[in-house]
Amino acid sequence: MIKKIPSDMDVAWCPGCGDFPILETFDRAVAAAGIDRRNLVLCSGIGQASKLPHYTQANVFNGLHGRPIPAATAVKVVNHSLEVVVTAGDGDTYGEGGNHFIHAIRRNVGIKVFVHNNQVYALTKGQASPTSDLGYVTKIQTHGVAAVPFNPIAVAIALDCTFVARSFAGDKEHLLATMLEALKHKDGFALLDILQPCVTFNKVNTYKWYRDRVRKVDSSHDPYDRMKALALALKWGDEIPIGVIYRSKRPTFESQLPALSKGPLVSQYA
Amino acid sequence: MDVNVRVAGEAGQGVQTTGELLVNAFAGMGLHVFSTQVYMSRVRGGLNSFDVRAADRELFSARRSADLVVALNGEARDALKADVAPGGVLLFDGKADPPVVGINFTETARQVSQSGLMANTVAAGAVFSVLGYDVETLCDYLAVEFKKKGPEVVEKNVNCARRGAELAREVAAPSVKAPVGGRPVGKVYSGSEAFALGAATAGLKFVAAYPMTPSTPTFTYLAALADEYGIVVEQAEDEISAVNMICGATYAGVPALATTSGGGFALMVEGLSLAGMLELPIVIMLAQRPAPATGLPTRTGQEDLKFAINAGHGDFARAVYAPGTIEEAYALMRRSFETAHKYQTPAIIMSDQFLADVRKNVMPLDAASRPIDRCILENPPADYMRYAVTESGVSPRAIPGGPAFVIVDSDEHMEDGHITEDLEARVRLQDKRLRKLAGMAAEAMPPAVYGPPDAAHLLVCWGSTYMPCREAVDILAARGDSVAMVHFPQVFPLNVKAAYAALSGPGAARRRVTCIEGNATAQFAMLLRQYGVVGDCEHLLKYNGLAFTGEEIVGRILR
Repeated sequence: MIKKIPSDMDVAWCPGCGDFPILETFDRAVAAAGIDRRNLVLCSGIGQASKLPHYTQANVFNGLHGRPIPAATAVKVVNHSLEVVVTAGDGDTYGEGGNHFIHAIRRNVGIKVFVHNNQVYALTKGQASPTSDLGYVTKIQTHGVAAVPFNPIAVAIALDCTFVARSFAGDKEHLLATMLEALKHKDGFALLDILQPCVTFNKVNTYKWYRDRVRKVDSSHDPYDRMKALALALKWGDEIPIGVIYRSKRPTFESQLPALSKGPLVSQYA
Repeated sequence: MDVNVRVAGEAGQGVQTTGELLVNAFAGMGLHVFSTQVYMSRVRGGLNSFDVRAADRELFSARRSADLVVALNGEARDALKADVAPGGVLLFDGKADPPVVGINFTETARQVSQSGLMANTVAAGAVFSVLGYDVETLCDYLAVEFKKKGPEVVEKNVNCARRGAELAREVAAPSVKAPVGGRPVGKVYSGSEAFALGAATAGLKFVAAYPMTPSTPTFTYLAALADEYGIVVEQAEDEISAVNMICGATYAGVPALATTSGGGFALMVEGLSLAGMLELPIVIMLAQRPAPATGLPTRTGQEDLKFAINAGHGDFARAVYAPGTIEEAYALMRRSFETAHKYQTPAIIMSDQFLADVRKNVMPLDAASRPIDRCILENPPADYMRYAVTESGVSPRAIPGGPAFVIVDSDEHMEDGHITEDLEARVRLQDKRLRKLAGMAAEAMPPAVYGPPDAAHLLVCWGSTYMPCREAVDILAARGDSVAMVHFPQVFPLNVKAAYAALSGPGAARRRVTCIEGNATAQFAMLLRQYGVVGDCEHLLKYNGLAFTGEEIVGRILR
């Protein structure tokens, strides 16, 4: 039985944080997917989301801010029998690590990237993030954010990411189903952007704000239709689509590396 | 005796092809070859040169003057006139007035082979004739070299070589005295090839890099070896990604390397510190270039010593190696992996353009050496803790996928790897990590002494300066001077005891000590002074982007 949070752990999240339902749902998803935790590696960066690996049971590579994706890429290449999941925030993934995000999608390496997107830098106490909306006021962006928000879903589709989804921490059943889809994805890189309210620093994008706006992707949506997926990806504001938005089939990075044809690299060491 | 042939022209004209052809052909004749390259940072144009020095004894340095210059364009002809040694010859690809000897290599190649591409073979034929070597020896080499490309290519090359030799005789080119070959000596390697072979045989499974001169040739050779040795070669989106990839790769259990130069290493520094904190056995090859910033991308220098030793925020253990020869490039690359794995901490191996591009025939490097011991704990117990406190500071290292969780964190952490702000644990774990330095210092390589240890004058150097410095010692010793070289193949941790024994001790006050290095601020002398190993020694520095030569060191010492 997996402990929800080890009792001796000093959890660094605020009461009510969107990270709690993500952690709880993640543990359910791992169990439901039948993943052996000894073969599960969680890679994270720095920030509140990146502390998640400490509050569950798995192998952990908690590296540098912005850099979990390169580390996870190499872990997967060296031992592709491992299940490798990145759990990091919007700052880690879309800001500091934006270049890695782009190129890991291009490679189509078989890692799952779960982004806790709260549209704010919480650990550094409330500055704008790459996904903060235009006009969002902070102690640094005193006249409001002037740069358009990064759209991870649209960027991922543009790069032909093989699995692109969005979910919401306030809808645990939807989140569970979407996480399961991501964990079951065998065609390479999976992006799951999770709308995650920050109860302390983001007084705009609250549970209610998201709840009023999220719209489940209609079951008639064909995720392999790239242009329709892109149209969904460009929706933001009054309506925010959640669910599996885009899928594509192309060879994974691992399948194209001749050195891996004889099995995982790590087991080839003489 | 020795002869120095300099091939020069613009990028894209076949300077390198001609040079390599001569290196391999001379080596096949049983000559000792030493070749160096000087080139500009551009794909076309400019002035590049390739020196091939050959002798009947082992060589360690280039030479300023050339006995035979092969100028492939007018700019090279004019620029290199002054380089021709007394009694030397300048061959020019075209018409020329004496004393320059004009032979139209390109036009001749077109006539003989219907293509100007084999101009380098025509030039090589002419070189053989001027040096008094039998062109058929060159033809034999060409037959072997181009065998794979078929008999037609072999025949065309052979005809081009013969025609080049004929033309040299027809225009009555003066002859140049050249050494006579003996039994073939070893095999030709470049420094970059030796680094790559060292890494591949050490058991490298993952190499990541963003291309950057002068580290790129090693990355390229590794790609050529990848299928044979089972290596994943990944061109990362940037150096930050490369270093974080090798951190991930070593965590997952295989030896991993990143190759880079100063600017790229600067981007890797946070990742270096990460490897120190996570206790990961990463290896970084730092091929220096003259800096700051982009500096002189294709030139040589030894300016990153302090940087390599001090890079990274916070205190952590590392080893820094600085090979002096092709053989050491191979051996110390392997040793870098061994040390990194034994102590679970980063190792840095220093190179530069001079060492990367030097070509020489040496005793064959073992392509089948056993991979190093990864020092992995095979069956960790259920209560395994990655950072268990030990006396040596080295905790048994397990890898993910086994019976126990392997938890690593860039934050300060407890023995089990989980994040902590327990300040007592902080001190306990930091002490544990830094205890590794004691073991590493005890194993640090001593300096190598060449010449009489009690010599009146000691030439101190590190890294690739070994080569010209060794030639300088030979020249000075032949004059009857009491001189020796003290070379440091490892610059951190320093083997202080051995360094002190070589440089200080009894009689030190009467000795002359000269630190010779490729930077403007005597970085290594400063380091030795920091440890009290040398006092107020002399500095012989060079930072114009070119390597020292033996005769240059001698000239500056005697001045």
